[in-house]
Amino acid sequence: MPAGRPGPAAQSARRPPPLLPLLLLCVLGAPRAGSGADTAVISPQDPTLLIGSSLQATCSVRGDTPGATAEGLYWTLNGRRLPPELSRMLNASTMALALANLNGSRQQSGDNLVCHARDGSILAGSCLYVGLPPEKPFNISCWSKNMKDLTCRWTPGAHGETFLHTNYSLKYKLRWYGQDNTCEEYHAVGPHSCHIPKDLALFTPYEIWVEATNRLGSARSDVLTLDILDVVTTDPPPDVHVSRVGGLEDQLSVRWVSPPALKDFLFQAKYQIRYRVEDSVDWKVVDDVSNQTSCRLAGLKPGTVYFVQVRCNPFGIYGSKKAGIWSEWSHPTAASTPRSERPGPGGGACEPRGGEPSSGPVRRELKQFLGWLKKHAYCSNLSFRLYDQWRAWMQKSHKTRNQHRTRGSCPRADGARREVLPDKL
Amino acid sequence: MDLRAGDSWGMLACLCTVLWQVPAVPALNRTGDPGPGPSIQKTYDLTRYLEHQLRSLAGTYLNYLGPPFNEPDFNPPRLGVETLPKATVNLEVWRSLNDKLRLTQNYEAYSHLLCYLRGLNRQAATAELRRSLAHFCTSLQGLLGSIAGVMAALGYPLPQPLPGTEPTWAPGPAHSDFLQKMDDFWLLKELQTWLWRSAKDFNRLKKKMQPPATAVTLHLEARGF
Repeated sequence: MPAGRPGPAAQSARRPPPLLPLLLLCVLGAPRAGSGADTAVISPQDPTLLIGSSLQATCSVRGDTPGATAEGLYWTLNGRRLPPELSRMLNASTMALALANLNGSRQQSGDNLVCHARDGSILAGSCLYVGLPPEKPFNISCWSKNMKDLTCRWTPGAHGETFLHTNYSLKYKLRWYGQDNTCEEYHAVGPHSCHIPKDLALFTPYEIWVEATNRLGSARSDVLTLDILDVVTTDPPPDVHVSRVGGLEDQLSVRWVSPPALKDFLFQAKYQIRYRVEDSVDWKVVDDVSNQTSCRLAGLKPGTVYFVQVRCNPFGIYGSKKAGIWSEWSHPTAASTPRSERPGPGGGACEPRGGEPSSGPVRRELKQFLGWLKKHAYCSNLSFRLYDQWRAWMQKSHKTRNQHRTRGSCPRADGARREVLPDKL
Repeated sequence: MDLRAGDSWGMLACLCTVLWQVPAVPALNRTGDPGPGPSIQKTYDLTRYLEHQLRSLAGTYLNYLGPPFNEPDFNPPRLGVETLPKATVNLEVWRSLNDKLRLTQNYEAYSHLLCYLRGLNRQAATAELRRSLAHFCTSLQGLLGSIAGVMAALGYPLPQPLPGTEPTWAPGPAHSDFLQKMDDFWLLKELQTWLWRSAKDFNRLKKKMQPPATAVTLHLEARGF
């Protein structure tokens, strides 16, 4: 054991000493002060072993202490006394131990194998590192927030690596430019993740892989090739507003703003809306909301509070052919539908303003009916909007139905002409 | 292993950093100031806070070391930890410490302990543990600053390290992992003992610094209140 040698400057120090006189302070390398308490030694010291392997260990008592003998020594592993049949005395000063079929280490700092004197005091110890070499990490997935950074996640190859401290290193390089880079910010989103905050290039694919290393070996994942533009995600749409549609008891209008970070590039952005009733956990999702910033939810229950969220997918950004990655959902916004005494129809769909056809079954049939009516009757002003207005009007006047007044022209079954409310209203 | 020597370098570097680069606390503005009382109170409060923080950090760390280290009655031999600053002291000696010595002992103890704690940042520890340790070190640095403030307010100089006499806790290259675990155990234990003792140290200082109550009463009587 070398003693009294000052730590050489050549050795890599985690923090280089700030001042030169530091070297003068060294009383480094002195054997551990107050020893003479190293009354025994275990061999092997701190071994690394495969799960299922065997271990032969010895505890040798130093001869200089009077009465030092291996008689009465016993072993504990992680605080538990080992059965006496596993140990035997090799000679007067050495006790041997035979362990077979070792399990993975209880903690990553190593299993504590301790040699005790007859009175229970600790004579020596050794840390056992039992585990498996790592397997290929897999399932690497990455995403870029607004094309500014890259976050990647992966799955460790096997459970066996968890018994030992396994170091994961995410590496990346531009495909046609040779230099390897290593990611530095780990645990960004969970234990097996890394965040690359800057200096990312667009328009050239990256090659990304993960290297796993522990005491027993190392493994390397397959290489993932990706283009930053194909894995772009963005912030959720800000300023989501939900409001009632006049007096309509089964509709709510949702409006939002395109996420500002990418607003100049989101030509083909897609949005998704989800909503649920206040005390339910089941969300209804409205898909295929393309490149609009508003939508009308229909088929809702009257007098009910709804929570609504919107998210964005920067599809086709900079000409990328692939779908981007959906953003997080916006903060929930709530609104309630107007109250009614009659139960409203079930099902939900998004109705874009302008009265384009939607997907609810009632409305689909209605659309067909209106189409037929236009051909076979004299009602030129019929439309969904008119239908909505009728329903709103029906709610207001359901108690005073006798007092209604109508305008417009549409034949009735009994042949008499009746006015209906014009479009403008 | 390179690791050990690196650790020693780290510890020494840290010693220097801590003792020589703690920013010199400017002397308090004496005109109308309430004296060192509030900063002594603050230091006392900090020791109680650190004691609380240490309890959860030590619990987690000892679980990481594994049994028997996390067992309540674990009492391993104190091997090679003679250079750890010892909080335990004879009662009469403790009582008779003058203020300067009392503060100096506290300051030097925590400087060393902070240094060793920084070296405790073992390569293999989990990210969670490293974060907790770093957070505790920052708090401990705050305590050091607070003690320095009290010393400056009372006009005592901060202790400077003398070359060659610095006790360095420098394990040799053959320092085994198990022995390192025992060192870690004793470091945490000593830290705990120091925090208990410091609370009493600062409580004692606080009582000494309080103005005698009689003076105030007399003043009021003179005014006829």
